[in-house]
Amino acid sequence: MTLLTAVNPYQGAPKGDNPYARITDNVARIAEAERPPVGWYIAFAISTSLLAMFFANIGYLVWNGIGVWGNNIPVAWAFGIVNFVFWVGIGHAGTLISAILYLLRQGWRTSINRFAEAMTIFAVMCAGVFPGIHIGRPWLPYWMLPIPNQMQMWPQFRSPLEWDIFAVGTYATVSLLFWYMGMMPDLATFRDRSRTPIRKFAYGLFAMGWRGSSRQWHRYEKAYLLLAALATPLVLSVHSVVSFDFATSQLPGWHTTIFPPYFVAGAIFGGFAMVTTLAVPSRQFFGLKRIISLDHIELMNKVILATGMMVGYAYGMEFFVAWYSGNEYEQFTFVNRAFGNYAWAYWTMIFCNVVTPQVFWMKRMRRNLWVTFAVGVLVNIGMWFERFVIIVTSLTRDFLPSSWGNFRPTIVDYMTLAGSFGLFFTLFLLFCRYLPMVAMAEVKLSLPNSHEH
Amino acid sequence: MSDDPKPSFWRSLAELEGRPEFQELIEREFSAPVDEDALPGSPDRRRFMQLMGASFALGGLTVGCRWEKEEILPLTRRPEGMVPGESRAFASAMDLNGAGTGLLVTSVDGRPIKIEGNPKHPDSRGAAGIFHQASLLEMYDPDRATHLVRRASGDQRSDWTEFERWLAEHSEFAADGGAGLAVLAEPSSSSVRGSLETALRQRYPRMRWVNWSADYRDHELLGAKLAFGQSLRTLHRLDRAAVVLTLDADPFSPEWPAFLANIRQAADGRAPDDTGEMSRFYAVESAFSLAGGLADHRLPLASSRISAFAAALDALLSERLGAAAASHGPAQPTPRRDWLKDERVAKFLAQLADDLLAARGKSVVLVGRRQPPEVHALAHRLNALLDAPGKTLSYVAEPAVGADYRGSAVELAELTTAMNAGAVGALFVLGGNPLLDAPSDLGLSAAMSKVEHRVRLGLYDDETAAQCSWLLPRAHYLESWGDVRGWDGTIALQQPLILPLYQGRSDSELLALLLGEKPATGRELLRKYVSGLSDERAMRRAVHDGVLAGTAFALLTPTLASLPKLNLRDEGLAPDELELVLVTDSNLLDGRYANLSWLMELPDPMTKVTWANVACIAPKTAAALHIGEGERIELEVNGRTVTVPAIYSPGQAEGSLKLALGWGRERAGHVGGLAKSDVPPVGVNAYPLRTSKSLTVQNGLRVRPTGEKAVIASTQDLHAIDQRGREGRDSRLGMIVREATLGQFKTQPDFAEKAVHHPPLLQMWQSPVSYDGHKWGLSIDLGKCIGCNACMVACQAENNIPVVGKDNVVRGREMHWIRVDRYYKGSPEAPEVAFQPVSCQHCENAPCEQVCPVGATMHSSEGLNEMTYNRCIGTRYCSNNCPYKVRRFNFFNYHLDLKQPENQVKKMVFNPEVTVRSRGVMEKCTFCVQRIQKVKIKAKNARRALVDGEIVTACQQTCPAGAIVFGDLNDPKALVARNQKRPRSYVLLEELNDRPRVKYLARIRNPKPELA
Repeated sequence: MTLLTAVNPYQGAPKGDNPYARITDNVARIAEAERPPVGWYIAFAISTSLLAMFFANIGYLVWNGIGVWGNNIPVAWAFGIVNFVFWVGIGHAGTLISAILYLLRQGWRTSINRFAEAMTIFAVMCAGVFPGIHIGRPWLPYWMLPIPNQMQMWPQFRSPLEWDIFAVGTYATVSLLFWYMGMMPDLATFRDRSRTPIRKFAYGLFAMGWRGSSRQWHRYEKAYLLLAALATPLVLSVHSVVSFDFATSQLPGWHTTIFPPYFVAGAIFGGFAMVTTLAVPSRQFFGLKRIISLDHIELMNKVILATGMMVGYAYGMEFFVAWYSGNEYEQFTFVNRAFGNYAWAYWTMIFCNVVTPQVFWMKRMRRNLWVTFAVGVLVNIGMWFERFVIIVTSLTRDFLPSSWGNFRPTIVDYMTLAGSFGLFFTLFLLFCRYLPMVAMAEVKLSLPNSHEH
Repeated sequence: MSDDPKPSFWRSLAELEGRPEFQELIEREFSAPVDEDALPGSPDRRRFMQLMGASFALGGLTVGCRWEKEEILPLTRRPEGMVPGESRAFASAMDLNGAGTGLLVTSVDGRPIKIEGNPKHPDSRGAAGIFHQASLLEMYDPDRATHLVRRASGDQRSDWTEFERWLAEHSEFAADGGAGLAVLAEPSSSSVRGSLETALRQRYPRMRWVNWSADYRDHELLGAKLAFGQSLRTLHRLDRAAVVLTLDADPFSPEWPAFLANIRQAADGRAPDDTGEMSRFYAVESAFSLAGGLADHRLPLASSRISAFAAALDALLSERLGAAAASHGPAQPTPRRDWLKDERVAKFLAQLADDLLAARGKSVVLVGRRQPPEVHALAHRLNALLDAPGKTLSYVAEPAVGADYRGSAVELAELTTAMNAGAVGALFVLGGNPLLDAPSDLGLSAAMSKVEHRVRLGLYDDETAAQCSWLLPRAHYLESWGDVRGWDGTIALQQPLILPLYQGRSDSELLALLLGEKPATGRELLRKYVSGLSDERAMRRAVHDGVLAGTAFALLTPTLASLPKLNLRDEGLAPDELELVLVTDSNLLDGRYANLSWLMELPDPMTKVTWANVACIAPKTAAALHIGEGERIELEVNGRTVTVPAIYSPGQAEGSLKLALGWGRERAGHVGGLAKSDVPPVGVNAYPLRTSKSLTVQNGLRVRPTGEKAVIASTQDLHAIDQRGREGRDSRLGMIVREATLGQFKTQPDFAEKAVHHPPLLQMWQSPVSYDGHKWGLSIDLGKCIGCNACMVACQAENNIPVVGKDNVVRGREMHWIRVDRYYKGSPEAPEVAFQPVSCQHCENAPCEQVCPVGATMHSSEGLNEMTYNRCIGTRYCSNNCPYKVRRFNFFNYHLDLKQPENQVKKMVFNPEVTVRSRGVMEKCTFCVQRIQKVKIKAKNARRALVDGEIVTACQQTCPAGAIVFGDLNDPKALVARNQKRPRSYVLLEELNDRPRVKYLARIRNPKPELA
């Protein structure tokens, strides 16, 4: 329990101050405030504008065809799938923090798990948009679902895209359940503190009659543990399956067995980077500095450093295996990645994902919020480029040089990418405003006095 | 009803009285939703229905049976009726610049949908070039001239009755023996037109008649005159030649009238499997031609230097032959040029002379039409020295060229002078487009404005028609009766497949009108002027076969004059001097096909550039001039300039730039450029650079880089390839296009299979399909393929492949199901080139099939990799996983333009047996599954087995080289099975274990060991 006490935000709190009340107050007042901080309005205005742009671009795409993007033959997949994999990757940290760290009894997770989970849900929602709109006939994605029909059609289960449907679908469902269930005691707290009938009704509805009885707590703990156990393999499986899209195909640069662990490590890496990117400003604006302390930030930065090293290892190993395979096409693909037309993308990725996290070897840097935020942003950029490098660069030059071709994004590509951030941040800002950003009940559970009875 | 003054039944008093208000009401009520005049050249809905009606009528669906009346005889055995929806083939023929090719036109319900070669025609033997095939699109072009226009003050819509009346009223130009009458015509091989021309000349002895085409064969004919004293035509027999030298010549390009026969004959000599022998080709040329691609030895040499090279060769051959050469007169003196002493050139020359002499009687020299007449004359002498006449070539008289022939350029200049002098009262322009392609310094336009009556018979309202007082729509050859003479003189009959869509008439019909012949329909003219057709049975037979046997020209044995010392363009090419070679375009010819989207999007065989003409420049020359790849450069010749993008062309002679004519048109149509509809010209018009001084090779070129980069839409090497990419490409080239020399092939016949080392290719499971019935496969002979692109157009026509436009090609979205990859090998100065047609490989272990989440691409029991368009949702995963990248995706709805009323007529070109794909679905080569099924059904109905060669894919059918063979691999006697078992057969990317059904036959080159 040394770790627990080390990160206890209320250690040494002034006498007479009830930490339980303060936690509740700290978290609940964000949602109960008359109006949110001005910064929230600005952020929300920007996000919703981006969201509107997102929908406008999707509408334009559906009306005209996939040709409004820069995709071509040979680069049949580009921004659409890059964004999909990017967002799915972001969606990893939440469940990892909630489930795996829970099972590993890492109490420090409690102060960040709620919004990490929310982030997961929103990221998976963003990810879910792309497979639907990137197909040539975007009104037919349901043909990939095993729905009994009169058209004599059935999905083709040898296709990794089909596996994706199930992997991401399951992950989204379990993550949502996990998030929602964990939120119930806190929703009940909100309900109880509500002053208007509308709030009371709404929170009451979603609190599903939570009264905090010991029987409810007992059931809750059991269910939470079970869901955590269910979600844990999913953390590993989702991105493994997403990586199968590439690993099972025979394109040089995709066809490699290292992909599942490499993708999972990358996803956790990117996910944590997104958590710190969101946590640093949130704790500032919403006054959560004591709940999400510098110790938490430092721990997350350690995870970023560790997974960043794993990703770096994978980058190196890919090169080694390409050389070791003796396969001409494989070797060329990797040389081309680093020195070909898209070398700039590759080196952006290396800089962001391998070089920048190295600053976290220094404690001073791990605890510096500006550095944390900057590295978080850079790692997110790097992880986006990682997917770009894997997907686009590999496709531009495959086996027959006659069909080589470059990819040039269109304005719609860029606007759709930016728009997906609009969707993400709109949802996130709404979450910050109306839902318990921190798992109050769980944080209280990790207070020292909870364990002194 | 408007013609009827007193209707028996009337709707209102206004109608009964024929008041104008009523007429107006009727017109308003039944008029097209859009103003007809606003859309010239576009059929409205009613017109379209009329056309369709006419087509059905032609198809014999109606009781009236127009089809019976016109007696278009089918090639199949059931002339008594036709099954609706069943396609049938009819023989017809097309003329291209004075040489005709017999064709078979497939027609469904009265609308022609596909053009193939007539197997009975001596040139074609079933093959067809890109122009023949694309001419179908020309007929359905909505931009064609749709009605007669009288241009006096403003455009007035007119009709033939009015024109005939006008003609009758204006007989003054026929006075004085037709002194005021002039005809400027596109060259034609038609004997009907020839006879009418003769008749017209007899009627009006002082009439001026000039044949003009940008691509006419002046130099060749004048060269023959120099050598023989008369204009002769040379027929080559490349199949009999063991050693062939082409001097700036491309006998395989459509500008060479007998190109189909040439390709076939050359290709036959390139498969040493059984005999162990093959021909050897030498090419000396400035720009890479198809012949240069096939050549075993190619020497890049500026066009201006070819004459000196030929003279040096003459000197060498005469010296070696000694007395044997003396009978042909003295040799040309060896020119003194420093570059001739260059080691590479000298060695090439010496070995070439050796080879030509060693194969004396089996060698031949061909000269291209860009070379001056002197070089042509010299070639006749070279051929005589090589004992070629009667063996590898023969001579026939050039029809319609008199002894006083001075060249069409001279005749055109004389006509211009006459027009300027006001001596011409009426000018009839038949076909062609002289105001586009006449020498730019001639002032033809100004001269024409001095002619009072300018009558234009043309397919389009083009540059020439714009300045004429009458525009008469010309009937497309698929709409009219006629005849054409092949290169060897064989007459092929041209029968209409459809009634004229736009009241067009043929050249012959207009001439008959001028002569006042009655009746003057095309068919009657044909029977009147082509001998042997007077008998009805003979006529029917001839129409059915499409070819009149025994009508070839008589072979001549002319005596070669002793050549004087020829003026061999002594200016040559100074070391720092640049030349510009203006050529007719590989896809648009002289510009006449500028509105055909199939050809616009067809990549140039060498540069692979679509939708533009570019200046080809040797990389070394470009570096010296500081020209970047794709940079716009300003070319200045004779004080005239054009600005055009430059691309680096490996194998281009140093100091020589090549630029194609026929682009940059402003009145081509909605595809090629139409100024009045704000459609910008496609490409750059190079005709202004072409002056009377020289119509082909321009010396004294000045080049100025502009620093501006052009967007070039090429289908290969679309983006500049960096150093890494080049290294990667070059290192794998030997695995992709496998080649060996004849010597290597003899010592190790299975070299191709051994070219790539890979682990044993095992299967993880037993194949669930045994392929007991048919097992379709394809074999492509890289030794035979010359890269002419005919297969691409055939595929486009057969499979309704859309055209995507320049912007989408730039994005890399072209749709061709079969592409011809072009790879250069060796140094950029003198590379070898290799062509490789790539279509879907129909892998048994297809990577595309495994990754489709909806099962839209599946394997058939006969081994076809089938695409189910309806089921495809467009994930494009299949394309990512296809190592050959042969899958094509509909990024947009590329048929949206068909919704426009004026484009309705374009729908008629579609093959009803192939789905027209909409947006968002993947598509690719099907091995022409519709053709397979059709023959299978036919065989099943007849209760017989399939015969090998009965099913031909579209690409195979049209390939003049016979490089593509399709068939059943389960039939050991089938040609495809035998081909695939040949030792030089290999599978592209075999190591991936996809087990394709397409196998390539490795190319064998036959270099002279001393030169290799």
